[in-house]
Amino acid sequence: MSGVSLQGLVKTYGDIQVVHGIDLEVQEKEFVVLVGPSGCGKSTTLRMIAGLEEISDGDLSIDGRFVNNVAPKDRDVAMVFQNYALYPHLNVAENIAFGLRIRRESKAVIDASIKEVGEILGLTPYLGRRPADLSGGQRQRVAMGRAIVRRPKVFLFDEPLSNLDAKLRTQMRAEIKRLHNRLGVTSIYVTHDQVEAMTLADRIVVMHDGRIEQTGTPMELFLNPVNTFVAGFLGSPPMNMINARIESGDNGPIARFGELSLALVDTPTMRDAIGTDITLGIRPEFVTVSTQADTHGTIPVDVELIETLGSEALIHATLQGEPFIIRAGTVGQMDVLNGISGFSVEPNLIRVFDAKTGMALPDQVMKQ
Amino acid sequence: MSNMNLYSRGDKLFVIVNMVLIAIFMLSTLYPFIYIASLSLSTGFEARAGNVVLTPVGFTLEAYKQVLSEPQFWTSYKNTFIYTIFGTLMSLAFIIPGAYALSRPQLYGRRFWNLTVAFTMWFNAGLIPFFLNMRDLGLLDSYFGIIIGFAVNGFNIILLRNFFEAIPQSFEEAARMDGANEFQVLWKVYMPLSKPAIATVALFCIVSRWNGFFWAMVLLQDEDKIPLQVYLRHVIVELSDDEEFANSLLTSAYSFETVSAAIIVCSIIPILLIYPFLQKYFSKGILLGGVKE
Repeated sequence: MSGVSLQGLVKTYGDIQVVHGIDLEVQEKEFVVLVGPSGCGKSTTLRMIAGLEEISDGDLSIDGRFVNNVAPKDRDVAMVFQNYALYPHLNVAENIAFGLRIRRESKAVIDASIKEVGEILGLTPYLGRRPADLSGGQRQRVAMGRAIVRRPKVFLFDEPLSNLDAKLRTQMRAEIKRLHNRLGVTSIYVTHDQVEAMTLADRIVVMHDGRIEQTGTPMELFLNPVNTFVAGFLGSPPMNMINARIESGDNGPIARFGELSLALVDTPTMRDAIGTDITLGIRPEFVTVSTQADTHGTIPVDVELIETLGSEALIHATLQGEPFIIRAGTVGQMDVLNGISGFSVEPNLIRVFDAKTGMALPDQVMKQ
Repeated sequence: MSNMNLYSRGDKLFVIVNMVLIAIFMLSTLYPFIYIASLSLSTGFEARAGNVVLTPVGFTLEAYKQVLSEPQFWTSYKNTFIYTIFGTLMSLAFIIPGAYALSRPQLYGRRFWNLTVAFTMWFNAGLIPFFLNMRDLGLLDSYFGIIIGFAVNGFNIILLRNFFEAIPQSFEEAARMDGANEFQVLWKVYMPLSKPAIATVALFCIVSRWNGFFWAMVLLQDEDKIPLQVYLRHVIVELSDDEEFANSLLTSAYSFETVSAAIIVCSIIPILLIYPFLQKYFSKGILLGGVKE
């Protein structure tokens, strides 16, 4: 089983600890994405798995083998680097074959491998070219070719798409996913881009300040973030946050903020939390826009700007002076969008967090 | 010159002053070449009379005939090639691994070793201790002494180290993950990536070896081993006192001055021939390590 197991993985530089004990089990053939802001320790964790950084404490196993003190070349992992690390003095075929030559594979094996990888990645016409003569996307594919040619047990990707333009990034994202489906190799992918994380991952690991905040499938994390950090990090635009207090309403608990209020789901936990200061999390796409602010249950907003993206639009508004973003469809709706004066939201689409701890109140499960 | 309209008066003045200064500098560098070449092609009489200023006077190739017919000239020419070629190879064999080691962040005591190398750029043992050292090592009057004795140069090591340090770490990491050991990382990744820097260092070595005069004079007595520069000195110092040579000048079209000039021209030619091909590395070399890419 070519899984990867991290148990209490710690990294310290001198007196400074940057990764504070990571526990993670990556299953065989799984595509796991480590995501988080700059400096959250995701790259360091990946480099510890690769063997490029020494592990200060904790255990790392690959395919059931304890590898803390095993050299990178003997861990049977391959890595795709952010800047591709293609050797400029070698052509595409030589770049792909570099690892095989170092390992003194026979010429027949090398030639067959280059041919196979060239075909898998559509690089056959470019095998004789130098990296400088390739486009960004082609370079990226060569970097992947260099990784897959060795048939490693685990692929490691360190922000491999961050040097590409937006269009190419979308294209390469799909290619990476297709490649993973085809080869079925366990993959660990690091990115700060939550869109990449959402689209590629079987499972996402959100990291912050050297710790794991939450692990789960993209939809689990999107719908049921455990805290305000995850809620704010995943989703584009991020979740709207409103400071409020739980009070008792006519039909169950409500969230009151200033003069306004929103109905919450009527659960025992919510009723127990009456009187608690909370943060309401409302996804921009979960609200229903309204042109009549005075309707019951509608929260009035002041629209500042509408960004039209084509099939949908981002409405930048303010709610009691704080920014509030709404995402809505545009087709046949432009008249409505231009006249927006408020929104409503179903109670079960509101995520409630404890204002002090930032943690989601228990027993809230939004179904996929 | 229409672009000059974009410049202010101060800018124009600056450009003009620059051009004048560069022209003066260029002429002051170029003139000795022209003068020596003209001198070597002039008759001995005109040369001695000081009539040669810019172009050859009484054009003759006699000085060259005299120089090229002298076996000692060819011996020392050959020696200069030996010292230059093998000396440069020996230097690179020390400088490249040395610079690579000093560029490694994981080198134990890296700061100390870097300081030690840099120290030799400003301080050395001095003439007599060095001579005694070479004598005690049995390296006087030997090809090997000259080749090994000046193989390592702190400046070149630091220069190449800076270049190695500017190479993105991911190249090394990718190679290590592919299974390359330290030697393979240097040989298959760093050296090919550093061709311009290595060419620059090689050029510095070639030029200093080719022009190397002082230590060859101090360490070599055997006439069969002296390089061209030392031979030139012999000609200048010894032949001027040589009565037989002086007598021969009375009847010949060459002179002491034209022969010396002809030897100088002969010694410049090889460097002059390779320089256009390597010139770009010289200017690159000055910027080495100054800019991180």
